[in-house]
Amino acid sequence: MRQSSSTTDEKEIRETVAIILQNFSPLKENLIPILQSVQSAVGYIPQPAMKQVASFLAVPAGEVFGVATFYNQFRLIPPGKHPVKVCLGTACHVKGGNIILEEWKRRLGIDEGGVTQDREFSLDRVACVGCCALAPVVLVEEEVFGTMSPSAVEGILLRIRIEKERRSGCGGNEE
Amino acid sequence: MNRGTKTAVLQNFAAIKGRALEAWQRSREGEDPCILIGTATCGLAAGALEVFKAFEEAAAAKNVRVHVIPVGCMGHCYAEPLVVIRKPDFVPVLYGKVTPTMAGTLVKQCLVENNFVPELVLAALEENEFLPSIADFPRFARESRLILRNAGMINPEEIMDYIACGGYDGFVRAMQMAPEEVIDVVRRSGLRGLGGAGYPTGKKWEICRNGSAALKYVICNADEGDPGSFSDRALIESNPHLLLEGILIAAYAVGAQSGYFYVRNEYPLAVKRMRTAIRQAREIGLLGGEILGSDVCFDLTVFEGSGAFVCGEETALIRSIEGERGMPRHRPPYPATVGLKGAPTLIDNVKTMAHVPGIVTGGADEFASIGTGSSKGTAVFAVAGKINNAGLVEVAMGTPLKEVVFEICGGIPRGKSKAKAFKAIQIGGPSGGCIPEQFLDTPIDFDSLQEPGAMMGSGGMVVLDEDDCMVEVARYFLDFTQKESCGKCTFCRVGTRQLLTILEDITKGVGRSEDIDLLVELSEDIKGGALCGLGKTAPNPVLTTIKYFRHEYEAHIARKCCPAMMCRDLIAYYIVPEKCERSCDVCVGSCPTEAIYTAKHRIKAIDQEKCVKCAACMEVCPPEYDAIVKFSPADTVPPAPPRIEEKE
Amino acid sequence: MKTITLTIDEKTVEATEGEMLLWVALDNDIYIPNLCALKARPLPDANCRLCWVDIEGRSAPVTACNEPVYNGMVVKTGTERVVRLQQTALELILSTHPVDCGRCGKNKRCELQKIARHLRTKLKQKRLRDISKRLPIDSSHSLFSYDPNKCVLCGRCIWVCKEEQKVGTLHFAYRGFAMVVTAFGGAPLGEADCTMCGRCVEVCPVGSLIFKNAEK
Repeated sequence: MRQSSSTTDEKEIRETVAIILQNFSPLKENLIPILQSVQSAVGYIPQPAMKQVASFLAVPAGEVFGVATFYNQFRLIPPGKHPVKVCLGTACHVKGGNIILEEWKRRLGIDEGGVTQDREFSLDRVACVGCCALAPVVLVEEEVFGTMSPSAVEGILLRIRIEKERRSGCGGNEE
Repeated sequence: MNRGTKTAVLQNFAAIKGRALEAWQRSREGEDPCILIGTATCGLAAGALEVFKAFEEAAAAKNVRVHVIPVGCMGHCYAEPLVVIRKPDFVPVLYGKVTPTMAGTLVKQCLVENNFVPELVLAALEENEFLPSIADFPRFARESRLILRNAGMINPEEIMDYIACGGYDGFVRAMQMAPEEVIDVVRRSGLRGLGGAGYPTGKKWEICRNGSAALKYVICNADEGDPGSFSDRALIESNPHLLLEGILIAAYAVGAQSGYFYVRNEYPLAVKRMRTAIRQAREIGLLGGEILGSDVCFDLTVFEGSGAFVCGEETALIRSIEGERGMPRHRPPYPATVGLKGAPTLIDNVKTMAHVPGIVTGGADEFASIGTGSSKGTAVFAVAGKINNAGLVEVAMGTPLKEVVFEICGGIPRGKSKAKAFKAIQIGGPSGGCIPEQFLDTPIDFDSLQEPGAMMGSGGMVVLDEDDCMVEVARYFLDFTQKESCGKCTFCRVGTRQLLTILEDITKGVGRSEDIDLLVELSEDIKGGALCGLGKTAPNPVLTTIKYFRHEYEAHIARKCCPAMMCRDLIAYYIVPEKCERSCDVCVGSCPTEAIYTAKHRIKAIDQEKCVKCAACMEVCPPEYDAIVKFSPADTVPPAPPRIEEKE
Repeated sequence: MKTITLTIDEKTVEATEGEMLLWVALDNDIYIPNLCALKARPLPDANCRLCWVDIEGRSAPVTACNEPVYNGMVVKTGTERVVRLQQTALELILSTHPVDCGRCGKNKRCELQKIARHLRTKLKQKRLRDISKRLPIDSSHSLFSYDPNKCVLCGRCIWVCKEEQKVGTLHFAYRGFAMVVTAFGGAPLGEADCTMCGRCVEVCPVGSLIFKNAEK
């Protein structure tokens, strides 16, 4: 079962990438914009996609791998459903951003760059998101949480869980 | 360009400008009031969108005709969301920290009942008899706004707003001159690169102009990567056309046909607004082929940087546009001679480009009259950290640091029970240094800032107070540069890693007595030995903190003591029993690790084994008790009272 | 091509104008420490930061690999500040490089040994922290083994693989201290597309890439 679902995924990814590539001419200078498009469509850059891009641009696949691993933006593994980004810009740092990051690590049981086993959360640090006056700042999906405290982490997690239960309750058939 | 074409350009632009002025009059100076709402990232994060909707809905509910206009950032991050209300019969009034509820109140009171609600007013934008005006606030009075002049006043997604305020006048004027004349104006203005290095802009343009290649590029470097600097972002989000105009003038002057706007992908709103600006400029014939009916052609592409601080370095930036790993190369040749795809390439920072239109319109002399002998014009800083009024500040070169920190930005915030002392300003980000109190009179300009060991950098200014440990600040920056090193050269890749490892040891209390000298020696060698600017400047935070705060390093190493009580391995929290208000349990609830327990007489105490030193309890302990204190070295903390069994 | 004369350490030598100083010195038996330079490579990478020299008229030492020679150039290879930079660069490299020469297949042919001898310094350094990465050794390839810990990231193997052999199997991946030489996706080299030319091993200045029959 598992095998077949991952092959469908692969097929789907291949088709998505093929569509993306139609918008570009096969020039090396398009490599980064192509990878950006792949990531925004797929959520990360799977290795087969790198190979596909490499053959489109007629460059060695290793070169695409080298570029994808160089830039912070590119993810090599799928992100969680709720990506958590802790700002560690200077303003957030001096106001305890690292303590907030640690609290997330503790609550989620993952390190930065990691994804929880249930694929619900991923945790990353970001450099300045530009809301220095609200430091320390955390982004959950696209929502900004300002003036964070360690104890606020649990509240956010709780909110997301309740939200999830509410949603699954709606779609469920208990009644 | 012959005289006929020049006249055609003037005529074509005059027609556009006529339309722009008409639209402006309708929306800003007409019979209906207008409401401007700051919607840059900082404003949005503070809830500007909800406020925007609330104004629209309240106006609709009350049947009030009003123009609600999104604008950029005025720079007052501490007071976001900011709103300006202009009624036809009165001066524009500024409101800060506006909430959706306040929006409803303001529509009702201010627009319907003609009451300005003085208790909510921040200031009036012009002098008047009824309300204090911004001229009475040092924040406004001491700033010299050149490139931020229209930020927060115009709609960044509306080219006509910019044109109505004099936008593209500079470009049209430049087109009436020979390219060499334009370069001469920029050269005489004394403008220097505001990306950090301070290279004379006119000279760079001249080198690029003299390149014999048929194909040339202009790149605007908006890869603002300093943690703690957001001035470029705010400028792009607030006035993208100003940059576009600067780029157009630069392209005309050096003879480039094609260009890139290189902006961080972490700035989605800036990317979006720049794309909109480009589209609008193209639509009215200010960009593309045959600009304004002339034979001048230029097109601009937005390139989203993928998150690599090193790509702020120009050769690395070029590599990344070419689709490579952003690793810098040896210079010379400089990009102005051999740049993108081997062609002469002019690369200027956002703030440098932003000054260009004003210089062309106002003239070189006017610009050169502002600032100091070797640093002309203004400097823009993003001020953050331990400061009352964080935000964006534009001051004339030569303004003393003290004025920015204590007058314009309102000084250091008070602690819970006492005032906090200023400790240092970190200026210039990871490439800059920490300036202590004795240098607060230092004027802000390229050369003066180098004296205490800092640099202008790209516009970040982080204020530190007595609670900030300078070893930890150095460690923070080295952690950053070390992560952002491209890895190419030995001194940066391994050298910054060594510096970080040593600093980590010191902050953990396992530093060695010879470490301070080693840090200095290694830093000097990295400065001399690294390949690019990132590596060469990476040791600056280490060197300046050792120079001015050596005693803090020594305390960490010799006594395992962090004088600022910040390094968590060297401190312990303690609840002073005499001060603890026994029945108040607020600290217990705040603790993320359940380290706080109840002892005899309901006094709270901390289990040091469980405590992760997050300071949450200290923050929530009510100021009237202020019972939680820190000790360093950690083993000097008094023993905690014993836990009592709950069932007893 | 114009022939010019320059002075290196008081010795007058002839060279073609525009040639890079490092090669002029080496061709005239004047040793300047270096790891990343390859003569065939048109643009020097200048990443190892070892080939420091002092040139008259310049305020600070410069790397010889990317300094074109000119008539009347006066070069000194052993000034105090040059040696200090070389010493630190070597120490930095050694702080990540496991020094176990006795059991290394490159013993006595290793460039690091040669540089240390030239600088009259020990390979076992004490001044800096040991920050070696302890990555697994890749012995999957039939012809050679790859020890990423010993790699000095000079990039010579990558250049010959891509530019000289037009194969393009080896690349840099990741960034900063985590940067490595690797094949696509970090796959074992034995599974990567490889034409078995062995050039990467030949140009490796240290014992990172080493023929299996040379291992001890």
